[in-house]
Amino acid sequence: MRQIQFIRSNTFLWALAVAAAFALFVVGLFAFIYWKLDDYLITRSDRMITTQINFIADLPSGRRVNAISDHLAQDSRGVQYAGLFDADGTRIAGNIDRVPRGLHLDGAVQGVRLDLIEKLAAHDPIIRSVGRRLDDGDILVMGRNVDETREISSVVGQALALGLLPAFCLCLLAGAWLSVRAQRRVEEVNQRVQRIVAGELRERLPEDSADDPFARLARIVNGMLDEMEAMINALAGVGNDIAHDLRTPLTRARLALERGRTHAATLEQLQEVTDRAIAGIDQSLAIITALLRLTEIEDNRRTAGFDDVALDEILREVCDVYEPIAEDKDIGLGVVIDRNVQVLGDRDLLFEAIANLVDNAVKFTPPGGRVKLELTSDDETALVRVIDSGPGISEQEREAVLRRFYRSDKMRNTPGVGLGLSLVAAIVKLHGFRLIVGPAPGGRIEILAWTRGTPRAAACGSKVLLHANANEM
Amino acid sequence: MTRILLIEDDSETAEAIVAELADRGFEVQWSPDGVDGLDRARSSGPDAMIVDRMLPGMDGLTVIEALRKEQLRTPVLVLSALGAVDDRVRGLRMGGDDYLTKPFAIVELVARIEALLRRPIDSRETTLHVGPLELDLIERTARRNEREIDLLPREFRLLEYMMRRSDQLLTRAMLLEEVWNYKFVPATTNLIDVHMGRLRHKVDGPGEPQLIHNVRGSGFILRSRQ
Repeated sequence: MRQIQFIRSNTFLWALAVAAAFALFVVGLFAFIYWKLDDYLITRSDRMITTQINFIADLPSGRRVNAISDHLAQDSRGVQYAGLFDADGTRIAGNIDRVPRGLHLDGAVQGVRLDLIEKLAAHDPIIRSVGRRLDDGDILVMGRNVDETREISSVVGQALALGLLPAFCLCLLAGAWLSVRAQRRVEEVNQRVQRIVAGELRERLPEDSADDPFARLARIVNGMLDEMEAMINALAGVGNDIAHDLRTPLTRARLALERGRTHAATLEQLQEVTDRAIAGIDQSLAIITALLRLTEIEDNRRTAGFDDVALDEILREVCDVYEPIAEDKDIGLGVVIDRNVQVLGDRDLLFEAIANLVDNAVKFTPPGGRVKLELTSDDETALVRVIDSGPGISEQEREAVLRRFYRSDKMRNTPGVGLGLSLVAAIVKLHGFRLIVGPAPGGRIEILAWTRGTPRAAACGSKVLLHANANEM
Repeated sequence: MTRILLIEDDSETAEAIVAELADRGFEVQWSPDGVDGLDRARSSGPDAMIVDRMLPGMDGLTVIEALRKEQLRTPVLVLSALGAVDDRVRGLRMGGDDYLTKPFAIVELVARIEALLRRPIDSRETTLHVGPLELDLIERTARRNEREIDLLPREFRLLEYMMRRSDQLLTRAMLLEEVWNYKFVPATTNLIDVHMGRLRHKVDGPGEPQLIHNVRGSGFILRSRQ
């Protein structure tokens, strides 16, 4: 199994391909060298026999026979051939039996089969030859065996083959080694990832100091794992908060039902118990609804549906909705609008955010206090400010209020779900605006928006400013 | 008798709805899946329908779409566990007349069905009359018998909505959605009560018989008769 895997592995296949290409290249090189060499040797021997035949042909006819004998006698390797024939083709001198058929007299050097007196091998070799009809009618043929070319070629070939085999093996070995190494690392990563999948969130991929692609990839993945671990831990925290906040009203409902079942004597008593239970369940449902809403906003890709929103209209409407409530609590609710201003956003969500801020302000301001809604703007920014004369948000609590379900200890008994400000923060974040929580005493929360036409780049740093000094704004 | 078709796959929910509606004098037919429900809607022609969104066989919205294609204008209340604003918008766009997110209070469901069955008074009217109340939509004035009622714009809007739906139970959620155009549940739960308290204070003067009634735990009714 492992063997097949290793042979199938990409790295190994690549090595095999490279080795094959290398071998092909070497064979090609060999062929080229052979061809060049052959060509060179033939050209040289052709030149030689042409010189020789010219030399002998230029001699007086009486000295030719001797010249041929001398010539042949000097050839110790037995590669030279010569023959002198009379006009009828009868041999006069030399080691060629008769005038070869197919040899063009007075032509260029060519390869022909020669009939030799002493047979060389099983068959007569093809030999580079040239023939000439002499002025006295005789025919002179001279040739040279070029088989030595092939000998040299075979030596070169052997040398190349000898080098090729080890090179090929080396290629395969390197391929196999790389393949096994890569597989071992993949296997290690796989084991760690399996552990992460199994829930061991703190596991990380091995990061050796080397700057190879594997190590770089591991560093990238580890960075991602860090982020995810932090997020999952945060979610787990939220899960705990939800469980806790859901338990409280459900416990009340359960207790009421249990007691009612045992103790209720009349229909009225039972109805009262049931009402209490329903109230408890309704509160749990309200928490779930608010939570889903928060998720909906945080996940939302609704920025595409953004349109011009008149902030001044929203402020007036919110004020209109909350005026009677504030009045009932003997709180003065006022709205001050510097000038009408439009921003790019989702009207319903912005209304929800501002209504939530005012709702909170009215809720936490003691009777006799004031809640003020302000809208100021310049060319680029619009600032919605909700100020109240309540206790405000203390330094220590500023960050916490934006967390889901955070409710100040002082407010434990105030009705509400505790998601209000995180909802506002989510909406503000979606718009790329800024939420600024001012220092206590006195509640002061601001939404800094970018007016229509301001480049979005300015809005990129959307985040909550916790420690901004409100007086500087 | 008013006939209602309920298409809902959860039998326990369906049972509770059928029982409650029967108590209130409706004749209810129950169908557990979309295909069967669509058949019944075609054959029996109910006065109103309650359709769950997630159904086996055929999706609730597909049922409504099919009906609307066949020019069947039966009012439909969509029930759904999907509560996001986008889901709601989609449900209404596909031909639903109203949308109620699970879990819901049974009175809420009944109130909405009754509202669907009794479409509001023609909007071309320029004067609305309910009992001794008269609302002039052009002059923006209100009077009870001879007494002028001085209303703020938001109170006028609320009274207009109620007069168009007199003798109907209007739940807080309905008022929030329709009058205040709220797409979310406000943190202050008695928001509507405070506004209604103001309006009632003006409409029902001292010594006059009460017209705006608070139905405990459910909502409000503007009664034309005592």
